[in-house]
Amino acid sequence: MSENNFESLRRLLAVKRHELPPSGYFNNFSGRVVARIRAGEAEVPDTLSERLVVGAPWLVKFFQIFEAKPAFTGAFASALCLLLLFGAVFAERPDAALQPLLTQATESSAPLAAISPAALPKVTESTLLAPGGANPVLGIQPSLQPVAMLLGQQNPFAQQVSFNVPGN
Amino acid sequence: MIMAEPVERTDSESPAPVEESALVRSARRGDLAAYDELVKRYQERIYATIYHMTSNHEDANDLAQDSFIKAFQALKSFKGGSSFYTWLYRIAVNKTINFLKQRKNRIHMSLNDMDFNAEHNPDLIALISDKTPRREAGLSELQEKLNAAMLKLSEPHRLVVVLHDVQGQSHEEIAKIMDCNIGTVRSRLFYARQQLQGYLNDYLK
Repeated sequence: MSENNFESLRRLLAVKRHELPPSGYFNNFSGRVVARIRAGEAEVPDTLSERLVVGAPWLVKFFQIFEAKPAFTGAFASALCLLLLFGAVFAERPDAALQPLLTQATESSAPLAAISPAALPKVTESTLLAPGGANPVLGIQPSLQPVAMLLGQQNPFAQQVSFNVPGN
Repeated sequence: MIMAEPVERTDSESPAPVEESALVRSARRGDLAAYDELVKRYQERIYATIYHMTSNHEDANDLAQDSFIKAFQALKSFKGGSSFYTWLYRIAVNKTINFLKQRKNRIHMSLNDMDFNAEHNPDLIALISDKTPRREAGLSELQEKLNAAMLKLSEPHRLVVVLHDVQGQSHEEIAKIMDCNIGTVRSRLFYARQQLQGYLNDYLK
């Protein structure tokens, strides 16, 4: 449809140009604005959306896409969830990335074998069996264990150990 | 628009207009006199845009003042990527749209009076003359219907109509203000006009 089809509408809309504020309204408009600025209203913190409009218009535009097309919101949320899931899965399988570090750590701990047992700090049986105690092996990152169990994996940090308490 | 009282000046008396960029620089340093000058330059256009968006003088008054205060506060972040005028418009438009979203279901019109020239406008006379099917419609009724029809449009569509058909801005300027491409402006304008034609059918026969 061309502009001509809207010609009468445009003439009608032009009527709005005749709507004017009370006479003299603009005479002191700027004075009122400056007075409010002097009164310190410029210091009043703005809402987050107002700060974004000035500071990060690209972010506002990004959110406007979501507003205009809600399907994007679902797609974006799904992508985020997938990313989180993959992050959790790969965080539970650090084998490839951690292997060289673990090997290095094992090698560097070898000289400890030369230390006599008497020189090591004494660990009592009650300390080892106490739940949530200072167990140096089983106490590592307990928060990861449920996720690992959920995914059918063994916790790579948990190892089976046995202790011989002296005197038994 | 109503202008400030005209003051007769000879050419030798009138000071040369200060460059906008110089005023912006001064205002950024806290010079309120420079900012006062900037406000005077754009107050009418900013007020008119907000008024035609809200159809309410009191709301337009508050929002226009708030927009200028907000712009002064944010002047330090104005990098000059666009003109000050476009940047100021964006602030006013965003403030207005946020306001309209909040008051969504509380529409209350408080319309300004028509100026004296309206009664002598040939287009307007034709609209309310005996030739129109709604000849009983007076000027105020026409104004009310027109504003009510505008308020039925979504905010982005209303904004395009206000800027283009009421204020006479170009598609390019509107695209800069709304931060979208010209094609979007054209399609919104087309859709908005179609909607308005439907709402105002009685006055357009």
